[in-house]
This record gives sequence, structure tokens and C-alpha cells, in this order.
Amino acid sequence: MVENIVNDLQLYKHFLGMLFRSQAQYKVNVVVDICASFAVTSLEFVAVLIYFGQIPSMLGWNVGEVAMLYAIMSIGFGLAEMFGAGIDAFSDTIRLGEFDRILLRPVGSFMQVLGSDFRLRRLGRITQGGMTFVIALRLLPGLHWTAAKVVALLIGIASGSVMFMCVLVLGATLCFWTVETTELINILSYGGRDMLSYPLTIYHRLMQRFFLFVIPLAFGSFVPACYLLGKPLPFGLPGEIVFAAPLLALAFAMVSRVIWQFGVRHYQSTGS
Amino acid sequence: MLRFYVEVARTAFRRQLIYRWANLAGLLTNIFFGIIFSYVIIALFHARPSVAGFDVRDTLRYTWLVQAMVMIVMTFGWYDLMLTIRSGAVISDLSKPCDFYWYWFSREFGRNIYYLIYRGLPTYVAGMLLFSFGAPGDWRNWLAFLLSLTLGASVGIAYRVLYNAVAFWFLEARAIGLLFVVIALFFTGSYVPIPFFPRWALAIIQWLPFNALINVPIQILLGKIPENALLFELGRQMLWVIIMTLIIRIVIAAAARRVVVQGG
Repeated sequence: MVENIVNDLQLYKHFLGMLFRSQAQYKVNVVVDICASFAVTSLEFVAVLIYFGQIPSMLGWNVGEVAMLYAIMSIGFGLAEMFGAGIDAFSDTIRLGEFDRILLRPVGSFMQVLGSDFRLRRLGRITQGGMTFVIALRLLPGLHWTAAKVVALLIGIASGSVMFMCVLVLGATLCFWTVETTELINILSYGGRDMLSYPLTIYHRLMQRFFLFVIPLAFGSFVPACYLLGKPLPFGLPGEIVFAAPLLALAFAMVSRVIWQFGVRHYQSTGS
Repeated sequence: MLRFYVEVARTAFRRQLIYRWANLAGLLTNIFFGIIFSYVIIALFHARPSVAGFDVRDTLRYTWLVQAMVMIVMTFGWYDLMLTIRSGAVISDLSKPCDFYWYWFSREFGRNIYYLIYRGLPTYVAGMLLFSFGAPGDWRNWLAFLLSLTLGASVGIAYRVLYNAVAFWFLEARAIGLLFVVIALFFTGSYVPIPFFPRWALAIIQWLPFNALINVPIQILLGKIPENALLFELGRQMLWVIIMTLIIRIVIAAAARRVVVQGG
């Protein structure tokens, strides 16, 4: 078991090295792409600032607090997009019949899909998240930092990005049956991201429950943000529950793994 | 010749009909985003009853109209032309005995009508049922809206063809294409309704071509444009249709001179 994981990780490191070198060949392209991605994601944040230019607060959250939430979301999602690019592009892998080739190789199929792409250009969103974080710190001069808060921030971001990658895996698994409805998973990935860039408490209680207890994406943004900012969580949850985020991410990853394997077993190759 | 272009548009419309499940998935996505933005708006309007003459109902209508119109006017991820340039298939379109731009225009116009019926209408109706904000009632506004939407969609097509034509110079231009789309969406009110922008920005935005895409048709439908300014707004849209069409024709002419097709 341990040996398998070590082997997989070594293989993944090898894939990453290859992908990194191949993208570094087209330096101008990569730089243009990163800048474009940075500009696109920054405009999304400027939209938040415009809203708050007209209206001072959103159900008790001021602009600095929303910026903090937004920054955590951007960094976590950006990491998921960067490392999960291969999973995201899985519908193409299926459509082109590439997956048959993957199944023939003597290594796990998931590791190969994960290692099939890595997008440097997603650094644009991560950079935007970092800048938003700095802006949030400037807007929140009274924020008191403790070691526990730093830990909460880091595990929040890490768990959030793992969970978003799990969402991508669920979307990829759907491709074993049909590649026509891949947009559905955008509801969870892009929709979840946009939704959780704002305080969870503004939404319908059903939506709050869903993103806390069913697909716990809120543990990657809203819950850590509440802990940092000292805000109460809905449904009387204690703030310290943020430290359970890695466990939830792990549980979600295991469930996604089972679903993925179910999909692989039911794969019947493309027709052409 | 007109009959040929009508036929191209009808074919594009019919081809789109095949992707029933894809459209349903897209429809659900539009609705979900509409729901998110609605809650954001409702939460913001707790702090203030109105912004720049827009109350919460106006803003909800605005947002759902954006969701309903975005696939018609400014399709995300449309790289059809770019892909033909990359594969070299563009050469067969360039040598067809019809005008290259009007050919693509007709194709896209056919798709626009499809999206109006199968994406736009259901999206707005879903929002209306979920958040019961009703529909604007004045039939004169609806007439002016349809005209304005047609003009906006025409600017949208020219813009789409333009950023795809970048591929004549840079083969892999998707990131640039995405940037083009996002800038257009931002300045036409798809991220934040245009009336929410600060006053100094409004003075600039209303003279940008993007304003013609979504913001002007919606403001007309919501009755936010006084009657004496209506002709002026429609005229400004028309001006952008003409300017954008001229630009795209110059670009295509320049591209056609330098296009080299590889292979035999």
C-alpha cells in the first residue's frame, strides 16, 4: 500500500516535470496566458468592489471581510484548477479514445489522468488571490492573528483545493456515460466557487446545508474565513470545526475514488 | 443571395437543435448562476432600498435578463472560426462563392435565434418563478427591446468573429479570446449592472461598444431610458454595428491576403 503510494507520487513528479518543461518551451505564450488569466480573475474581484462602492455591507460582512473570503476561495480554487487540469480535460480524453490507451498501461488510470495536464497559466488566479489577500489585510487593520488562525487558513485552502479537485473527478466520472452534459459539473465547480466567494449565510438554508454537509466545499472558504474573522457559523456549529476540514476533504476524496472506480469499471470505450 | 444566407441561418438553427442535453445542462447552469447572483443582490439591498434608481426588483430582472441574453449576445468559449483557421478548413469557407463575413454572420444569427427560444426564454421564466419578480409590461418597450437586442447581437457577432480572427496571426489564441469575452461581459453589465458603476466610469462606458451588447437592450426593456433618449440609444447601437462590421471586414481582407495553407 505505502509502496504503491510512493511509486505513484514519483510517477506524478515525473509527469509534472515533463509538463513543466514542455510549457516552459513557449515562454511568451505562458506569460501572455498567465497575464490574461490574471486580468480575467481580477475583473471578477473588481465587480465585488463596485457593489461595495454603492452598498457598505452585506448582511453584516464589510468589504474587507468579503475580500478575505474571496482571497481564500481564489487561492484554493486556483490550485485545484492548476493541478486538476488533466481531470478537467477528461471529456476530451474520452472523446478522442485516449482512455483506452491509458487502461492498457501498467499503472493506475487515475494517476495518469491527473498527470496528463498541469496548467501554469492558472498561476494568474492564484496571483489574484494573493493580491486580494493583501488588499483584505489592508482593509482589516484590526485583525488579530494567532498561530491557530494561520493553521486554519492553510488547512482551509489545502482542503478546499482537494475538494474542488474531487468535484472535477465527479464531473470526469460522468464522462464515462456521456460527454454531452459536462457543463453540469460547472454548476458545482464554477458555480460553487462563485457562490462561496460570498458569505454562505446570504443563501437559502437548503443551499447552506448542501455546501456544509453534503458537498462540504464551504469548509474550503467560508468556514476558515469565519474562524479568522471571529464570525459565528450557521446552524450553531462551533468555529473550531474548521480543523475538521482535512478529514472532510479526505472523506470526500475516498467517496470520489469509489465513484471513479465504479465509472472505470462501466467504461465501454467510444464507438468510432 | 439573401435566400442563401437565410438558408445558412436555418441550417445553423437546425444543427443546434440536435444538442438537446447539452442545452439542458447549459440552461441549468444559467439558472444556478442566476440564483447565486439573486441572493447576492437580495443581501446587498438589505442595506439600501435603491441604487441609482434601481430597486431590488429591477436589479433582479436585470440580472436574469443578463443570464437569459448572455448565450445569445456573447457566447462563452466560441472558437468555431479559430478552429477552422487552425485546421486549414477556413480556406474552403474563404473560397465559397459568397461573402465570408456574411456567411459566418448568418450562421451565428441562426444560432442566436435558437438560443433566444431555447435558452433565453426558459432562463428568464425560471427566474420569474423562483423569485417572482414578474416581467416588464409595456409592449412598446418590448418592441424597442427586440430591435435593440438584434442590434446588440449583431455587434456581438462582429466582436466574436474579430477575436477569432486573431488566430490568423497567433494560432493558439484562446486565452486572448477569453480575455476579449470577459472584458466585453464586464463592460456590458454581466458582472455588475452598469448603473451600479461609479459616475466617472459610466461616462466612459456608455461610449464603449460593449454597452450596446446587453446593457442597452435591458435598460430599454426595464423602461429606464426616457422616450426622448430612445432613438439616440438605438442610433448609438446602430453606429457600433456599422463600425464593428467595417473593422471586421478590413481585418478579414488583410488576413485573406496573408493566409497560407499548408499541406496538399
